Amino acid sequence: MLIGAIPIAAISIVGWSVLVLFLLALAFALGLTIASIKLRVEQDPRIDQVEQALPGANCGGCGMAGCAAFAKAVVLGKAPVTGCPVGGPSCGERIAAIMGVSFEMKVKTRPVLHCVAGSASRKLRAPYHGSLRCSEANLIPGVQGCAYGCLGLGDCIEVCKFGALRMEDGLPIFDYAKCTSCGACVTACPRGLIELIPFKNEQMLVVGCSSRDPGKVVRQVCDAGCLGCGACARKSDVFAANGNLACIDYEKYTDVDSLKEAFAKCPAKALVVFGPTGRIPVKDVYAKPSDTEADRTEEAATPA
Amino acid sequence: MTAELIFIFLTAAIINNFVFKYFLGICPFLGVSRRVDMAVGMGFAVTFVMTVAGVLTWIVYDLVLTRIGLEFLQYITFILIIAGAVQLVEMYIRKFFPSLYESFGIFLPMITTNCAILGACLFIQKFEYGFVQTLVFSIGAGLGFALAITIMAGIREELDFADVPKPFRGPGITLLTAAILAMAFSGFLIKR
Repeated sequence: MLIGAIPIAAISIVGWSVLVLFLLALAFALGLTIASIKLRVEQDPRIDQVEQALPGANCGGCGMAGCAAFAKAVVLGKAPVTGCPVGGPSCGERIAAIMGVSFEMKVKTRPVLHCVAGSASRKLRAPYHGSLRCSEANLIPGVQGCAYGCLGLGDCIEVCKFGALRMEDGLPIFDYAKCTSCGACVTACPRGLIELIPFKNEQMLVVGCSSRDPGKVVRQVCDAGCLGCGACARKSDVFAANGNLACIDYEKYTDVDSLKEAFAKCPAKALVVFGPTGRIPVKDVYAKPSDTEADRTEEAATPA
Repeated sequence: MTAELIFIFLTAAIINNFVFKYFLGICPFLGVSRRVDMAVGMGFAVTFVMTVAGVLTWIVYDLVLTRIGLEFLQYITFILIIAGAVQLVEMYIRKFFPSLYESFGIFLPMITTNCAILGACLFIQKFEYGFVQTLVFSIGAGLGFALAITIMAGIREELDFADVPKPFRGPGITLLTAAILAMAFSGFLIKR
């Protein structure tokens, strides 16, 4: 035998160790290299390309076992090109280019509040000294003038696990940087004022009222509510006046700017814009960059 | 000879079960035992890799390392052999048995770092088995693992519908189940 023939004493034990490990590693390296060529499986070259485009963290965030599994699923059409939550839109774009499909990022939904009546606009029937929870206060008919509007007691803030809500002027403000769109606040609101809407842009126009009372009644209890006049619906078919309340069809909705005219017609100013930092005064959104500053100071002087 | 082989097989599979007696391969035992079909797949993948690795390490250890007095290198060579063998086996299966490759999925590469495999290779050297005994021991130990993980998965599938007390939910009840299973298996130990 070859190994027996070599005089063992001639080489030190360290030398033998190195030699044996080197030969073993070499044998496996050669074996694997040959095997990888001989046993090559012809597969769709796009699978490799997609895998290259992925972050390669193998985190499993997509629900697959790893990036390779996800790449395969994408090529087989079993997973969407935008399925990688880590890579985000840029990664989705690259994969879409490889797959030759049009890139359409899944639109994020975010919560908005269908009420703009801050504590100044809200008219009370009588002073309220009851429970400080919305769910309990909502059981009392006369807790405030408007039977539809925000109570401002913050059940939604309490239920948010991510600290994305804060109370300002009697209304919750959403911090979309922290929001995960879990929908906890939507179910927490006893009056159903919070809704998850598709944020097609960073700024979205929202109807800031939920009152289905006739305009006259709304006027009596609130300074900011929608009167259901239908002026907006006459200007743009994105709007519909539905039982004394305007509503926006987000299927048809494109962007804030295209609805400028309809907004200008709104007598109650119940339309509001929600943006990255929560509710934005609509004046700021539509104002030309030059006179934004002036509008801001005006806004500050007369709280909405 | 035959009687000895049967004895080795049953000992490895049931009495000295890798999971319940030696606590080897606990990570896949707890991680992949949520559904019976996955557990069976994992069990047979482990059996397969264990057999291949056991035989290969036996060849390298008994025919090379012991002859030149390098027994102390067994860990590093075994790890190298297991990793290399799994890669090779993966490529081979992928080429010639695509459906088997699909069903093994991610388990095959995962087994590379499974302590039960390295444990089996080290036990073979410790007990100083011959080639046939090595083969029988590897298959037995692998099937023992498959048995353990399948039983566990069956119980866990039922546990999903059980009204588990709140503090025990999740890992708690799983570990308790594993403990009771291990106690049951200890009944096979023969008191001399």
